[in-house]
Amino acid sequence: MSGIGDDATLARRIAAYLSQQVERNVHVGTLRRFPVGFSWLTYAVPVGNLRGDADPQELILRLGPDYGLFAPYSSRPEMLALRSLEGGDVPVPRAYWASDDESILGAPFLFVEKASGSALVPWVSADEPGLEEGYRKRLAEQFVDALAALHRVAWQQKPIADIAHGITAENAALMNVEHWEARIARWAMRPYPLAHWGIRWLKAHAPVAPRVAIVHGDYRTGNFLEEGGRITAILDWELAHLGDPHEDLGWASLPMYRGGTKLISRLAEPESFYARYSEQAGFEVSTASLRYYQALALLKLAATHMAAARSFEEGRFDDMRMPAMGSQVAVCLRQLEKTIDGES
Amino acid sequence: MNNSFARLIDGMCATLRGEVLTRLDDDFARGQVYGVINVLNTFKVRADWSAALLLGQIRVQQAALDRVAELLRGSSAASTLPPLPQGPLPASTPIAELLALRDERNDAIDALLHWLDAERERLAPGTGAKFEQHLRDAMHEEVASELRHAPRPLFAEMSSGRES
Repeated sequence: MSGIGDDATLARRIAAYLSQQVERNVHVGTLRRFPVGFSWLTYAVPVGNLRGDADPQELILRLGPDYGLFAPYSSRPEMLALRSLEGGDVPVPRAYWASDDESILGAPFLFVEKASGSALVPWVSADEPGLEEGYRKRLAEQFVDALAALHRVAWQQKPIADIAHGITAENAALMNVEHWEARIARWAMRPYPLAHWGIRWLKAHAPVAPRVAIVHGDYRTGNFLEEGGRITAILDWELAHLGDPHEDLGWASLPMYRGGTKLISRLAEPESFYARYSEQAGFEVSTASLRYYQALALLKLAATHMAAARSFEEGRFDDMRMPAMGSQVAVCLRQLEKTIDGES
Repeated sequence: MNNSFARLIDGMCATLRGEVLTRLDDDFARGQVYGVINVLNTFKVRADWSAALLLGQIRVQQAALDRVAELLRGSSAASTLPPLPQGPLPASTPIAELLALRDERNDAIDALLHWLDAERERLAPGTGAKFEQHLRDAMHEEVASELRHAPRPLFAEMSSGRES
């Protein structure tokens, strides 16, 4: 497994690294890898003597392997986002240590607090019943509130300002499209004229953002933990960046994450979602910008699936979920076409 | 192989679900098995036995039949031969060649979209729209035909390791 080694080797390296950070000898137990998440590897790491007391503590380790979907990885955007949001209104796990130095654990990594709760996945099996109504509505409200809180953050004085890259309300959309166009050029293993047709439309219709905000980049069901109907943490900040807040709205409302319902991310009725969001975010959601960013979201998802197919094809990654993802490029492109044509 | 390709896929999926997943506790490993099932289901609707392999076998058969018929040509025994299949056999086109042909045409569609952006103003009224529509019809049909040959993805099962 690349430079990471097997679980026992990784556990030894983690123990050495953490011992150095806390300046005492810690003990690392058996690592447990989570099946959820298609990009970074995520492990639960039981650590003894981390705080100098007898109680073992469980940390979450995120590793970006050189064979992964979006390789090469950097822990920096996620670390900057989490540090920028610490102590604010968005529930996030506390970030402890991160580094892109591969000599430490074999890959860029990030250690974060283990938040309680479990992830509700956006995809449903055939015949799976919907969520209980009261539970769903409680989660929907928190899901909207956390997103509005994220987009209200005055990021200019926060660590994430380090990756602003000269973004403005005027150039946010175009910078984003060009970023994904370059990724498609890198990842696509065959020509996809429909993707280029979509890029052409996106470049010609780029809207001005209502503000530049911190964008999660993958805001949806599946990327938060909940416990008893309470969202305990928003996770997976690897795609965090600065941009138009409509980008997260467009992504969260993708049909792929509706779980066979009309609900945004299996949770919220669209009308109440946008109304509550507008009120809390402090600007009116633009229907045109929403459609624009839904189209961009579909292009991004298609690009992600192209990356999955490539990482598997090149033999870098034997994860069997990758070719399954790769088979979904056409689904995204068909939906992109419908969105641009105003059919959905 | 004596079984159909599709039946073998169904059998493999059933075995993985019934005999492997029921004895496997690790959620990540279970997610991987669902990934394998997902890919197998895609094979079922998009793949079949190798045409090149079958054509190779058929060519050998046909050559044998032709040689037998040639051997008895003009003899009295030839009249009692059972009816024999005749050629010509279809040409075998390797899949790699077909994929290259498809990609070549998609590259051409891409190039024409760029060309249209540069030259649209010089075209007769309405020509640009018709030109683009022809290209869009082809792009649309390519993804639509893929969707007609796509099984339900098992993302729920792959990311949880569980089947509800």
